Amino acid sequence: MSYTRLVWRNLFRHPLRTLFTTLSIALSIFLVCAVLTLPAAMERIIARVGSSVRISVHHEAGLTYWLPFSYVHKVRAIPGVAAVNHFSWFGGIYDEPKNQFPNFGLDPDHVLAVWPDYKIDPRELARFKRIRNACLVGGATMRKFGWQVGQEITLRGTIFPVNLTLLIVGTIPEGAGNPLVLWFNREYLEEAMESQGGLRGVGMIWVRADAPEHVEGIMHEVNELFRNSEAQVTAETEKSFFMGFFGSFRTFMRLIMAVGVLVVGAVVLIAANTSAMGIRERIPEIAILKSLGFGRRPILLALLAESGTVALVGGLVGAGTAWGLFSALSRAGKTGYSQLLGPLGQFQMSSTVFAEGVSVALVVGLIAGFVPAWNGARLGVVEALRRLF
Amino acid sequence: MLDGSGVAATAGAYLARPGRCHLQGNAGRGTAVGVPMIEVREVSRLYHRGVDLVHALERVSLGIPAGRFVALMGPSGSGKSTLLNLLAGLDRPDSGEVVVAGTRLSRLSEDELAAWRARHVGLVFQFFNLLPVLSAVENVELPLLLTKLPRADRRRRAETALSVVGLAARIHHRPAQLSGGEQQRVAIARAIVTDPDLIVADEPTGDLDAKSAVEVLTLLRELNRAFEKTVVMVTHDPRAERFVDTVIRLDKGVLANGGAPAGQSA
Repeated sequence: MSYTRLVWRNLFRHPLRTLFTTLSIALSIFLVCAVLTLPAAMERIIARVGSSVRISVHHEAGLTYWLPFSYVHKVRAIPGVAAVNHFSWFGGIYDEPKNQFPNFGLDPDHVLAVWPDYKIDPRELARFKRIRNACLVGGATMRKFGWQVGQEITLRGTIFPVNLTLLIVGTIPEGAGNPLVLWFNREYLEEAMESQGGLRGVGMIWVRADAPEHVEGIMHEVNELFRNSEAQVTAETEKSFFMGFFGSFRTFMRLIMAVGVLVVGAVVLIAANTSAMGIRERIPEIAILKSLGFGRRPILLALLAESGTVALVGGLVGAGTAWGLFSALSRAGKTGYSQLLGPLGQFQMSSTVFAEGVSVALVVGLIAGFVPAWNGARLGVVEALRRLF
Repeated sequence: MLDGSGVAATAGAYLARPGRCHLQGNAGRGTAVGVPMIEVREVSRLYHRGVDLVHALERVSLGIPAGRFVALMGPSGSGKSTLLNLLAGLDRPDSGEVVVAGTRLSRLSEDELAAWRARHVGLVFQFFNLLPVLSAVENVELPLLLTKLPRADRRRRAETALSVVGLAARIHHRPAQLSGGEQQRVAIARAIVTDPDLIVADEPTGDLDAKSAVEVLTLLRELNRAFEKTVVMVTHDPRAERFVDTVIRLDKGVLANGGAPAGQSA
C-alpha cells in the first residue's frame, strides 16, 4: 500500500466516469494539437508552392486591376531577370456557374523558363506550344470534372463575352503550384476577342530571377520603373504573394485558434465539475483520513494527483493520437496518396506542439482539481464527520 | 467467533517475536496502569444550532487512568460524542483543557494535532468507515502511510493487526465482501496498527447484530487487557457494561454523578 496505489484505486472507483473524463480531455487536446499545427502546415503549403526566385508583379490597387501589356517587355529588360510570363484571368466556367476554377491565359513559350520546378512533361509542353487552343490542367480540376488528356472542353466566359473551346494536351504535375489551375495560350483569347475590341492588358506578370540574391533588387527596380505611371505596381516574392492571398484564411485560422482556447476552457469546467462531484462524494472518506491523522497537505496532494493523472493520461492520449494521425497523413502525403489528401498531407505535428498539448492537459487537470481538492483538504474533521453521520 | 483466548494467543505470539516495536502496550512506553492517561479539566463546548446556543458540554472534569476500558453512556444529546471528539483531538473545547498522555491538546496546531492523532489515537466508528476501494489489509495499512516505515514493514504490521482481530484469512477482501462484524474488526485492526496509547470508539456496536456486537466488545476488552490499551467507548448498548472497567454517564452536557467517574463494573 502506498499513496500511488491509493490514488490509483480511487481513479478506478467509477471506471466509466474516469474513462469519459479522460476521453473528453483527450479529444480536446487532440483538437488543441490540430489547431496548433495549422499555422505550421499553412507555412509549409506556402513554402511548397512558393519559389524563392519567382516574383509576382501586379497592380498596386489589387489583382482585379489590369496592367498594360507593354509592362511585360519592360520587366523582361531589367538586369537579373531570367524569364517573364504573364497571367490573364479568363474567369471561364465549365458547364454550370457552380463550376468555377482559376483559368489563365499565358505565354506557352515562357512556361518552362518561369516554372522549371513544375516539371511539366516536355512532350505535353511541346504540344501546348504547338496547338493554338491547347491547355494544361491541374490534377485536382482534371479529377473534379473527370477530364482526360485529349478531351475538348468549352469554357464559358464570365469576364469576356466569348467562349473558348480548349484541347487538353497535358496536366500540371501534382505538388507543383495550384492543382486547380488551367493554363491556355493567351493569343487564343486575343484572337477570340478581336471582334470585341481586342485584349490589351495582362492581369499580372510572373518574373523569375536568375539568382535568389537578385530578387530584392529586381523587385525594387520593378516598383521604381512604374512609379508615377498610369498603373503603379507592387512586386513581391511568390511566397509573399501567396501569404497575402491567404490573408483572409489567416483570420479564419485565428478564429479556429480562439475556438481551440474556448474548447480548453470548456474542458476545464467539465473536468472541474467531475472532480468536484468526485470529491463531494468522498467527503466521508476525507473525514476518515483526517481523523486518522492525515493532514491537509497529503490529502490535497492525493486529490490533485488524481485529477492530474486523469488529465495527463488524457493529454498523452490526445496528443499521441494527433501525433500518430498527422505523422501517418504526412507519410501518406509523400506517397501516391498526396492527390487524395491535398493540404492534409502537409500537417506535421512538431514535438513542441506535442509537449504543449500535454502541458495544457496537465494544467487543465490541476486547475480543475485544485479548488475542490483544496476545499476537501481544509474541511474540519468534526464538520466532515458530522456530514458522515 | 472471537474469544479472549484467541486474541491473547495471537498477541502473545506476536509479543514473543524478537525485535517487536509496536502493539506493546502503554506500560511499555512508561505510562503505568493506574496513572491518569486522560485529564479533562473544566471543559465546555458550545454549538450554534440556528439562532440557539447549545451547551454540548458544560464544565466537565474527569480523569481516566491508563489501561482502563471506559464506556461513556447517556441519552442522545448528552454530550458523549462531543467529549469523545475532544479526547481524540478531533475537536477543541471552547474553554477548559484536555490533556492526553501528558500532551495539552489545546496547544497544538491543526497539523500538529493531526500528527498527534496519527501517533497516539486509534479511532473506531459506528459505520466502520473503511475505504471501499481498498482491501482489508490496505485499509489497515492506511495510517502507517504517515510513518516512515518501509513498505514491507507496513504490510507485515497490517497483516499482524488483522491476525490479532481474527481476520488473517480475509486480508485481501474488500469491505463490501465482509460482514458488518468483520468490517468493524478491520476498523479495530486499523485503530491498533499504529500501536496508539488510546483507542476511542464511537458506538462501535451500533450497526451490528447481537452476535457481532458481543464479538467486537470482546475484542476491545481483550485488546485492553492483552496490550494494556486505554479504551474509551461511547455506547448506548447496555451489554457493554459487562465488558468495561468504568462507566461514565453524561446527561445534558454534565457528568450524571456530579464529576467523578462512576459505575465501576466488569
